[in-house]
Amino acid sequence: MFDWMDGYTRVLLVFAGINVIAAYSFYVPYKTGQVSLGQAGFMAVGAYSSAILTQKFGVPFAVALASGGLIAAVTGVAVGFPALRIKGVYLLLLTLGFSEIISVIALSWDYVGGAQGFRNISFNPWTLEYVAGVIVVLLLLFSRLERSSLGRAMDAIHQNETAAEVMGIDVVRIKLLSFGLGAAIAGLAGGLYAHHATYMDSTTFNVMLSVEILVFVVVGGGSTFWGPLLGAAVLNAIPEILRALRDWLELLPVEWTDFYPINRAYDLLHDFLDFENAKRLIAYGLILMVMMIARPDGLLTRDGLLRLRLPRWKTRYA
Amino acid sequence: MPDVSSGGICLAIEGLTKRFGGFCALNELDLEVAQGHIHALIGPNGAGKTTFLNLLTGVLSADAGKITFNGQPVDDSRPFRRTVRGIARTFQNIRLFPHLTVLETVMIGEHCRAFPSVWAAFTKAVLQRPFGECSEERQMREHATELLKFLGLADRREARASDLPYGEQRKLEMARALATQPKLLLLDEPAAGMNPRETVELDGVITRIRERGVTIILVEHDMRLVMGISDCVTVLNFGTKIADGPPERIQEDPAVIEAYLGEEVPL
Amino acid sequence: MIYQQLINGLMLGASYALIAIGYTLIFGVLNLLYFAHGEVFMVGAFAGLYLVVYGGANIYVAMLGAMVICALLGVLAVYVSVRPVPKDRPLAPLISTIGLTIVLQNLAVYILGGQQVAFPETIEQSLYTIGPVTISSVQLFVLGVAVTVMVLLWLLIEHTKVGRAIRTVAENHETAALLGVDVNRVVLLTFMIGSGIAGVAGVLDGIKNSGISPFMGLGAAIKGLIVMLLGGLGNVLGAMVAGLLLGLIEILSAAYIGTTERDFFSFAILILILLYRPNGLFGTRTTE
Repeated sequence: MFDWMDGYTRVLLVFAGINVIAAYSFYVPYKTGQVSLGQAGFMAVGAYSSAILTQKFGVPFAVALASGGLIAAVTGVAVGFPALRIKGVYLLLLTLGFSEIISVIALSWDYVGGAQGFRNISFNPWTLEYVAGVIVVLLLLFSRLERSSLGRAMDAIHQNETAAEVMGIDVVRIKLLSFGLGAAIAGLAGGLYAHHATYMDSTTFNVMLSVEILVFVVVGGGSTFWGPLLGAAVLNAIPEILRALRDWLELLPVEWTDFYPINRAYDLLHDFLDFENAKRLIAYGLILMVMMIARPDGLLTRDGLLRLRLPRWKTRYA
Repeated sequence: MPDVSSGGICLAIEGLTKRFGGFCALNELDLEVAQGHIHALIGPNGAGKTTFLNLLTGVLSADAGKITFNGQPVDDSRPFRRTVRGIARTFQNIRLFPHLTVLETVMIGEHCRAFPSVWAAFTKAVLQRPFGECSEERQMREHATELLKFLGLADRREARASDLPYGEQRKLEMARALATQPKLLLLDEPAAGMNPRETVELDGVITRIRERGVTIILVEHDMRLVMGISDCVTVLNFGTKIADGPPERIQEDPAVIEAYLGEEVPL
Repeated sequence: MIYQQLINGLMLGASYALIAIGYTLIFGVLNLLYFAHGEVFMVGAFAGLYLVVYGGANIYVAMLGAMVICALLGVLAVYVSVRPVPKDRPLAPLISTIGLTIVLQNLAVYILGGQQVAFPETIEQSLYTIGPVTISSVQLFVLGVAVTVMVLLWLLIEHTKVGRAIRTVAENHETAALLGVDVNRVVLLTFMIGSGIAGVAGVLDGIKNSGISPFMGLGAAIKGLIVMLLGGLGNVLGAMVAGLLLGLIEILSAAYIGTTERDFFSFAILILILLYRPNGLFGTRTTE
């Protein structure tokens, strides 16, 4: 479907798309107020399960992917149980601990490669199509959830859990559902990643990944369902924007910039915009810090959406 | 006043006890609330009234005693199940959902009646038509709007709950509780912080709620409201019941007077 | 043999304890998970290294220098990451510190390269034997400095006016303000103290491991979090004891069970504590 795209763009979009899916996995429990730093762990569960199924048991990819998501969902509900009575910092640490334990298991379990990692996973040439499909389904799902009574109940739990419970909302089941659903989505993201990168090890799904996923949602805006998409898209686009800026910089005629101090500034700027990991990340970190001062609610808020006057079905009770 | 003789007993409490460490908050409480009554629970601060409400709604679990609601024993460990059975409450320190609108808040109360299970709610959420609203949603919105009209909040329905003035927030609490279609409504100090005019309005509201067939337990400090509106009054002090009966009798009861004033009034 | 493991455990534990102290102090006064603390630790290590290698300083001066530099870094963090960010959105300060972590770590990679760097030898190597125990001068030095710092800190917290101010703020901001305490200044001071100690810990780690890298911060951060929880959020003494305890557990499990499993124990402990004793072994001391 996307054959016209060149290889570089394709890979870029695949990874960005997987990040979008991962962002939605964080969004689900977050909607009920549960902040999870363990989504990378659920991605790992889905990734390893689906890879085991395709590599060791010859299961076709689609089935393996779905199974990976299902297994991740079960794990999600299992983690969801202790998470029920834990909040705030403690929940962050619990989910972080879970994610790290998964990493340790991946490291010490030789069946999946142990320290050498899981190699030679079959490559799925349709990954981009799968990713796009999953994202479309997720958008449909979340746009409906947001307008529904269940979505409203989730918000109520987030805003005052005891009041929600006493008003007849089955808080326990809804929280478990959110954890399970979020984990399932993460599992799908993990499975898609594994069959595109064809290699993974215990460091692939690490803490920083969980942190990045959290950041996507909070930066995009955690109160509307477009937030995760926006946050993941914007933050993944930044290095590309910086690269484009650098290319543009190179187009400037030499005569304009060949004198001091402009040439020094030019060199520094050019060097900084170089699409190299460390510098890109410094910009990323600075953007986070600035955003939390300037727009701590994220880029997109419910009020912001209303002001944009989007079509009726994206807002509530217009 | 509606005829209560045929109504029977809505709520029967036997030997209800709750201890916090060495402190006994509620001691062997026996109580009967008749159907369709407005039954007040009064007593000095710390007498155990809020503990009683928390035990009824399931937020706290009792150390001893039995609760029977409409003839059935109540032992659900999860508060939401008790709400589904028909026991609703408002909170003394208002507990609203700050970022939901007034209408949305009341519709939260409707949720448990519209959807029997989380799975049903989830399937509905996922499979509903992309445009317009489903029938449950429309029904919930209609019920909620009617309740808002009943309580005089209809024109505030798009306002954010946290933006409302105090008196309207109290009304919203009641609307939300009523949305769960309770048979028994627990009002926890609804007149707190109200001026006399608002209290008179509240009197009317509570009476109108009773006329809809809801039994009410009223925990209050405002004696004029309590004595004016109640069919029956129970007095607690230090976790023990010290008097029980119609308001006129309670007002004369020396034990009650002593509990509130701390001294015997010479007869 | 077991004594060697015990000493190793104490050394590792001392490192954890010193890092956790900063975490728990900051959490105590602000209810904030100061994620960037691990990077402060890393900066301290590199500061010490550069002072020794390029400044020709001896180890004591280097440690002091690292402490000062990290304290200043703490000040910077307060002005950039803590004060300007609204506190009523619980995740915003956390994400700001995450941003700071990313900036610091990658600044280090950019300036210093991503490789591990050898920490120069600064202490004369010799061995001491006390009964059945053989301990090297390096080990003695590290433990000695760590214990000294911990004792000094404890004295500060428990027996000085500054310490009392910190404890009051940790209890409740409003009460502290009513009692005439400048809450903002106390928070700043807490950051400086915590960061300074982390700086010393960084240098000690460099000496102990004879190699440091810009990536040493993240692992330290996570272990620090576990220790903080184990000791009780906001509980400084708890953090010290819990740190030593965790170090011992890790080393002993590595020695007698297996090295890959050693992290497993730490995280298993984390989860067990969260589920069954969330107040930690010694109780919490944080802001309402």
